[in-house]
Amino acid sequence: MTMSDPVNTVVIVGGGTAGWLTAGLLAAEHRCGQESGLKVVLIESPDVSPIGVGEGTWPTMRTSLQTMGVSETDFVRHCDASFKQGTRFIGWLHGQDESYYHPFYLPPRFHEIDLARHWQPLREQVSYADAVTPQSQACDRDLAPKQITTPEFASALNYGYHLDAGKFSKFLEGHCVEKLGVSHILDNVVAVNAADNGDIQSLSLNSGETVHGDLFVDCTGFAALLLGKHYDIPYCSKRDYLFNDRALAIQVPRGSPDEAIASTTLSTAQRAGWIWDIALPKRRGVGYVYSSAYTSDEEAEADLRHYISETADKDFGETCSPRQIKFSPGHREKLWHRNCVAIGLSGGFVEPLEASALVMVELSAKMLSEQLPANRSIMDIVARRFNEKFLYDWHRIIEFLKLHYVLSKRDDSDYWRDNRDPRTIPPDLKESLELWRYQSPRYQDLFHADELFPAASYRYVLYGMDFETEGPNEQRRSDVASRTEAESLFGDNIKRTKQVLKALPTNRELISKIHEFGFQKI
Amino acid sequence: MANNYVMLNNVEHQNVKVITDRSAQYGDDVESALTFPLEFRNIQSCYPIFFRKDATTGQFSPVALFGFQPRENLYLTDDGWDAHYIPLMIRRHPFLIGFQQVQDQGDTRQAVVSIDMNSPRVNETEGEALFLEHGGISDYLSAMTEMLETIRLANEMNAGFVDALLKLDLIEAVTMQVELKDRSKNELLGYYTINEDKLQQLDSESLGELHSQHYLESIFMILASMSCFRTLVEKKNDQLDDV
Repeated sequence: MTMSDPVNTVVIVGGGTAGWLTAGLLAAEHRCGQESGLKVVLIESPDVSPIGVGEGTWPTMRTSLQTMGVSETDFVRHCDASFKQGTRFIGWLHGQDESYYHPFYLPPRFHEIDLARHWQPLREQVSYADAVTPQSQACDRDLAPKQITTPEFASALNYGYHLDAGKFSKFLEGHCVEKLGVSHILDNVVAVNAADNGDIQSLSLNSGETVHGDLFVDCTGFAALLLGKHYDIPYCSKRDYLFNDRALAIQVPRGSPDEAIASTTLSTAQRAGWIWDIALPKRRGVGYVYSSAYTSDEEAEADLRHYISETADKDFGETCSPRQIKFSPGHREKLWHRNCVAIGLSGGFVEPLEASALVMVELSAKMLSEQLPANRSIMDIVARRFNEKFLYDWHRIIEFLKLHYVLSKRDDSDYWRDNRDPRTIPPDLKESLELWRYQSPRYQDLFHADELFPAASYRYVLYGMDFETEGPNEQRRSDVASRTEAESLFGDNIKRTKQVLKALPTNRELISKIHEFGFQKI
Repeated sequence: MANNYVMLNNVEHQNVKVITDRSAQYGDDVESALTFPLEFRNIQSCYPIFFRKDATTGQFSPVALFGFQPRENLYLTDDGWDAHYIPLMIRRHPFLIGFQQVQDQGDTRQAVVSIDMNSPRVNETEGEALFLEHGGISDYLSAMTEMLETIRLANEMNAGFVDALLKLDLIEAVTMQVELKDRSKNELLGYYTINEDKLQQLDSESLGELHSQHYLESIFMILASMSCFRTLVEKKNDQLDDV
């Protein structure tokens, strides 16, 4: 078995965001639709509607859209998209209306100067985020991350998107089919047919048609039709660390068409979980993600209604009927098995606290596309590396999400107290927290070069949650040497903040302009 | 002072006069002005032509460049504007062409002339009269009205020109670095020009299409106008001598 089994056809099962993103990224790179290119087939069930709650992205989405050859103007117009510059966490520390930002902005000269250390003596005067980035103050004012004269995908402040997941998968479908040559089959898979060696050979559809492929991508959501049902790859529950296992989601209409559009996802802590609030131009997406061990569905619904009544129309808050989603926090024991790889919810899911769902889809699809095995004989090598990378990422996501809970000082429910119980904290995180009392998170104490959450993110959360790290001292040469530079960087940030606040339009203004004029490509 | 454009009429503005001298005190201290293919032939002999993005719409328009910094017009001297051609968008001041909603007949938009009553050019003692003593239109106003109509048509054609260039990727960002006599370095940011490499690689079909719409000629006018960039640098150097 050498070059005899080339990978010529990739079959993707599932027509949600995960399926179409994977199709688009694969098709764009592998010249799908050309004579010698890869064949990409996507099978979508006409009876299953996508779960459609992945509505917040990371800045990585800009690169993904560009790779697929999508115009940002078209994307914003068709997906009811707006700009996301990070997350604002409300009530996580004391359960009041205190808040902090985790913005996407990487502080200047991050790898050279430990600004967090020099910020310590100033912590009573200015928040960490306000000291190192103009972005938190821009978000306070609902400002956009760029101007109408800024080219497509370029930024004044780093950004991702908030989007309508239903519209987004339709938009991607159109682009994949019309521009990228992806074949689209609307039918139900009724049987998975195995080859002698245990690979998936083909799928039988309801129509009687059989679809053959060399590699199968499971994007069937929680159903996990291929990796779960067919291969029975076990699911690793992470409930011991992350308690949340249910969500109630609802779309909240806008009170008026010129209502301000928030620049961050709002995450407001509750008695037994937290409420997300995602601002789109035409509506908001709101949901309560909670732990069934600490609250009842009825109580959770009442808490959600209360939040909606406070932030939107009272009648709507009382009468709306949120949709329930049950999930088990965790992931599959492996994500790639034989010639089948799971991307999206089929591979795993945890609460969307840091919008990790879509970015995991993008990174998985990107690695699949970059490492797409030329033939079956090397596929197991790629599979092993793929599993290694993404199981590590899952591990790190879980730790980073848990960090948000362990720093809380809330004492109003067992949910918050138990979240601080050392038995519920991953061992690596416990060690890191010890370390961070004496040094700020830095590049070196994370383990991989391409960490999902960079040290900058850890700092925003730690210092947003009042964590104390020892300040600069005379014993360290680097502290003494960098003091004046740090002071000048803090000064620069004040100047830059003033400029940015003056120059940037609001999200609402910019989005109206995109609808009217569009961005230039250059 | 903020602009105050009002619709022109022969009753209210019977005695209005307009100063036509060129000077900073009348608002000619601008570093660039919008221009149109229609006047490129004249423009390119005096000024470099670039593209700029409109700050409110982000859309590209060709501009004639007069200076390197905001409000620097190197063509302005004590004796007026030192060039044999002055761009339409400079000469149009203090007038503007606007539109009025007209309900009857199918046509709902009618062009109307407005005047900026806050312009330092506008007064009742000095300059060109707008209306004759007994109510008729002066030759000056009639020439200005004609010019405004030309601008309106030219402006509509600009959009087609820019779209055609963008479709063929013929516009690229450019950073002009200028070292002056006193060794100071000046950088011109936010300007765009024709991508000559892309232009060289165009197939004959695209070239034919550009030509049939008279865009090809305009493209070469822009390229030719670059020689005026040197004029601009020389003017700036001369200014350094004067100080």
